[in-house]
Amino acid sequence: MSPAEKTPVRVVVLGGGTAGWMSAAALARLLGDLVEVELVESEDIGIVGVGEATLPHIRGFVERLGIDEAAFMKATHATYKLGIDFRDFGKIGESYIHPFGSFGEEVAGVGFHHYWLELQRQGMADPLGSYSLAVEAALANKFAPPAQDTSLASSYGYAYQFDATLFGPFMREFGLGIGVKRTEGKVIEVRQDAESGDVTTLVLEDGREISGDLFIDCSGFRSLMLGQTLGEEWEDWTPWLPCDRAAAMPCDHVTEEIEPYTRAIARPAGWQWRIPLQHRIGNGYVFSSAFISEDEACEFLLANVEGTPRAEPRLLRFKAGRRRHSWNRNVIAVGLASGFLEPLESTSIYLAQMAITYLIELFPLGGKADARDRAEFNRLVDMEYDRVRDFLILHYHATTRDDSEFWNHVRTMKVPDTLASKMELWRETARVEKYSDGLFYDASWIAVYLGQGVVPDRYDPRVGIPDPARVARAMGSLQGAIRSEVAAMPGHREYLTAARERLAEPL
Amino acid sequence: MNGPRELPRRVVVAGDGQLGALTAVALRKALPSTEVLVIGTPPDPAALADRAPTALPFTNRLHDRLGIEEDRLVREAGASHRLVVRYLGWGGAGHEGLAPYGAAIDPKLKTGFARAWGGGPRNASTEAPPGSLAEVLAAEGRFQPPSGEANSPLADLDYALRWNVPAYRDLLVREAQRLGVQYVKGAIGAVRPDGNGGIAAVAIENVGTFEADLFVDCTGPAASLLSQLPDAVREDWSASLPIRALLFGKPGAARLDLEDRISISSVGWLSELSGRDGHQAMLAMTKETTQDAAFAALPAEPGNAVPLDPGCATAPWLGNVVALGDAAAHFEPLAWLNLDLAHRQLALLLELLPGQVPDPRERDEFNRRAGLMAARARDILGAHYAAPGAVQLGSLARSSELNLELDQYRRRGRLPFFEEAPLMVQETSALFHALGHPSGEGVLAQAADPREGDAARAAFAAKAQAALAAVPPYGAWMKQALQS
Repeated sequence: MSPAEKTPVRVVVLGGGTAGWMSAAALARLLGDLVEVELVESEDIGIVGVGEATLPHIRGFVERLGIDEAAFMKATHATYKLGIDFRDFGKIGESYIHPFGSFGEEVAGVGFHHYWLELQRQGMADPLGSYSLAVEAALANKFAPPAQDTSLASSYGYAYQFDATLFGPFMREFGLGIGVKRTEGKVIEVRQDAESGDVTTLVLEDGREISGDLFIDCSGFRSLMLGQTLGEEWEDWTPWLPCDRAAAMPCDHVTEEIEPYTRAIARPAGWQWRIPLQHRIGNGYVFSSAFISEDEACEFLLANVEGTPRAEPRLLRFKAGRRRHSWNRNVIAVGLASGFLEPLESTSIYLAQMAITYLIELFPLGGKADARDRAEFNRLVDMEYDRVRDFLILHYHATTRDDSEFWNHVRTMKVPDTLASKMELWRETARVEKYSDGLFYDASWIAVYLGQGVVPDRYDPRVGIPDPARVARAMGSLQGAIRSEVAAMPGHREYLTAARERLAEPL
Repeated sequence: MNGPRELPRRVVVAGDGQLGALTAVALRKALPSTEVLVIGTPPDPAALADRAPTALPFTNRLHDRLGIEEDRLVREAGASHRLVVRYLGWGGAGHEGLAPYGAAIDPKLKTGFARAWGGGPRNASTEAPPGSLAEVLAAEGRFQPPSGEANSPLADLDYALRWNVPAYRDLLVREAQRLGVQYVKGAIGAVRPDGNGGIAAVAIENVGTFEADLFVDCTGPAASLLSQLPDAVREDWSASLPIRALLFGKPGAARLDLEDRISISSVGWLSELSGRDGHQAMLAMTKETTQDAAFAALPAEPGNAVPLDPGCATAPWLGNVVALGDAAAHFEPLAWLNLDLAHRQLALLLELLPGQVPDPRERDEFNRRAGLMAARARDILGAHYAAPGAVQLGSLARSSELNLELDQYRRRGRLPFFEEAPLMVQETSALFHALGHPSGEGVLAQAADPREGDAARAAFAAKAQAALAAVPPYGAWMKQALQS
C-alpha cells in the first residue's frame, strides 16, 4: 500500500508554545501524508518561553525541516552563539567558557587535558580556554561558520541566541504553511476510552470536540493530559536542583559589539543569565525561593543588569524533575509537560527536539501506540534527562563558595550516585566516564570540572614521558594557530549584519 | 599532592601469540621507559584470538596508531583485503546476503532508497540495485585502499584485512624486539599475590620469578593469570551460544578475493576465508554434530579440532591483572568478532593505562566498558543465531538488548544505538539484512517521496561508476604493491 492510500494518523497537539509548534511542524513536515496534525492552543494561556539560548543541535532541526537559516534568524532576532560564559560558579571572581568545541587534541593516545594539568602544575600552562578556538573567538567577539574539513577551523560548532517568544510564532507560521491545522480554544475536558484508557477527545470551552489517534501534550507544566488525566507520576529533582523561579527582564544593548555567547553569572541564591539578541539583551535571575523571596530577586535583578530595562521583571515558576514516563498510553509529552531542567546549559529546546526526534523514529505506524515502542521512547528520553540532570548538578556542586546558604546547600548536598561516581573517577584519575549517545561529551565535562576548580589529584602517567619544554612549545604553537584563526575571523556584529536577510526590522 | 601517576616500572605480558605480541608492542610504545617482558607460554590451540587470520576494520585503525603499516602487512605478512562477507543460508535455504563494511549508504538516504536497497542480491530473483560501494567493487573484483582524501570516490569505504598468522606474528615479534621488549619462554607456575587482589610476581617454570606492576593476560581461554585470582568470576554464555567445538581445515590453494563466506547448515556454520596463503575453511559445531557429518561438511582436509566453552570474565581487570582476548571472553569466531573484541579491549587498556598502582576507579571504568563490549559482541553473535536459517541450531537465550534490537528491526527497520557496539548502526543493519532478518519499514521511509529514492539511486550509480573507474582490478593492484 502506498503512503497515499493509508488513512493518516490523526495527531492532536495540545499547546501553542515552542514545544507544541516544534512538534506539530516536525511531524507535518517529516511524516507528510501519514499524518494529519491539529494543534489546539489558547491565547489565554501564556507561553513560558524562557529558552532564549540554544545548543548546536537546533541547526539540524531547522535544516531538516527545510527552514532557511536567515529567515529564521530574522524572525527570532537571533545572534550566533559559541558557548556559555560561566562566572563566579567555582569561586567568586573566576570564570570560564564552556565552548561548543574542543580543546587541544590528544597526543599519543593521551587526552590533551592530562598534558595541560601537568604543564599547569609546572607553572607553564595558560588558562585551558586559550587552547580552544571556540573560547578564544567568543572572548574576542568574533564569529565565522566552522570549516567543513578536519582543520583547526572545524573544531567548534555554533547555536543561536534568539527571542523564544518569537520562535513559537515563527514555527506556527511555518507549521500552518505546511498543513498543520490550528484550533483556538481552551480545553475543559480530556475524554478517555473507557476500556483502554487512551485519550480520545479534547473538549473545548465552547463545546467543540477534537478527536485523534495520538495526543502530544505540550501544555507546559500543567501537563494536562499526561500529568492530570493519566496521572503520570512526577519525579522531583529539587533536592539537587533547588532553583524554582526565574525573573526575566529585557534591556537595551549598552555596547556596540554583540557577544557571541551567553553569560551565566552565579548569584547568592541562583544564577543570572545574559543573552545578547539583535536588538536587546535578555536577562534573568534563576533562583531558589527557599533562599530568597520573589521581590528580593526582582530587585536584585534590576540592580544587576546593564542597560535600560525595557519592561518590568516577569516572574516564572517551575520545578526541576520529570514525569516517570513521558509516553503513557497514546499520550506523548514534549517539553515542560514531560520534564523541566533549568536553562543553565540551554537544554530546554534541545530536550523538546530530542523527544520529537525519538517520537518520529518510533511513531505508531497504524496510529496505535505499541507498548514496546513506548518503552523504547521512555528509555531514550529518561537517559537524556538523567545525563543532563547530572551535568547541571555538577555546576552547583563543584564549588568552594560558602558566601550564602544557597551555595552552602548545593556544595554540601548528596548528589546522585551516578554523578558521585563520575566525579570520583575524575578527581582520582582525570578521566571522564565515557558515553557516546547523549548531549555532553568529554570536552564539556572537562570544561566545567576544570573551569570550576575541580582539579584531579592524579592523572595519566604518560604525560611525564615527553620533555615538558617540548610539550609547552607544542601547546604554544596551538595557541599561536588559534590566535591566527581568530584574527582572521570577522567580528560577530560584522558577520551578523553582513547579510540583510538575517536582520530583524529595527524595533 | 597532585601530579601524574608514577609510570609502571615493568609490565609482564603473558602469552606470545599474535595478541600478546601486539600487546607488547602497544605497551612498549605507550610506555617507552617501562620494561615490557613477554612470557612465551606454551601455545593453546583453543586460543582463538591467536589463531585468527583476520579481524574487522577497527584493527586497521589500531595498527595505524601503533605504526604497523598496512603496506608492510601486505608485503611481509601476506595481507589481503575483505570488503564484504557473503552469508549463505542464514535467511533460509537458498538465501544469500552480503554484509559490507563502512557507511554503506548515506544515512540521509535511508528513506525511499532504503526501501529498494537490498544490501545486495538477496536471492537470484531480486533485482534490487546494489547499495554499497563495497559490494559493487567486490562484485567487479576491483579495489585499492582508499587514499584518505575526503573527496575521493572511495572515501566512505571501509575494509578488513586478512593475513598469514605465523608471518603476522613474526612481524610483530620483530617489531617488539626492535622496541626492546624482553622475552622469556616457559609455563606459568605459581603466582605470588600482592595483597591487593592482584599479583606481585609470577614464577616461570625452570626460568625464574618475575615481578611487575602490571600483568596482561593473553594466555587464551585458560586465563593463566586472571583465573588464579580469588575474585575471578566467569560468566557462562553456553545458554546463548550453541557452538561447542571448532574443526579447522588444512589450507587450500591461494585465492585473492574481496569477499569471504559464512554458510549455515544443520551441522553448524562454515567460514571460508580467502587469502594469499591459502583458502581456509573452518567448521563451527554444536554438541549434536557428529565427526562424520563435520568431515563431510568441511570442504577441506580436516586439521585439528578444539573444544569451546563460551563465556567471559565478569571483570577482566582484577587488581593489577588485565585479561585480553580469549582470557577475557571466549566464543566462536563467527564473523571474526573475536580478535576485533580483543583489539578493542587492548585499545581500551591503552586509553585507561594505569600507573604503577592501578586506581580502582579506572579499573571499574575499564570493566564497565569492557563488559559492554563483550555483551554487545555476544549479542551480535546472537543476532546470527536468531536468523531464520539458524534456528535449527537450537533455542537460545537472548539478552533484553538483543530482543529489543531484533524487535525494532523486524517491526520498524530501526536499530537502537548501544554503547560499545562492535559495528556501526549501518553495518549492523546490513548484517541483519544479510542474515535474512525480515525488516520492517521505518516511518520516515514510508513518508518519503519516491522521487527521493530515484534521485539517491542515480547519485549512487554515478558514485559507483566513479569508484570503479578510479581503481584497478584488485590482482593488478596487489601485484604492483608487492613489486614496489
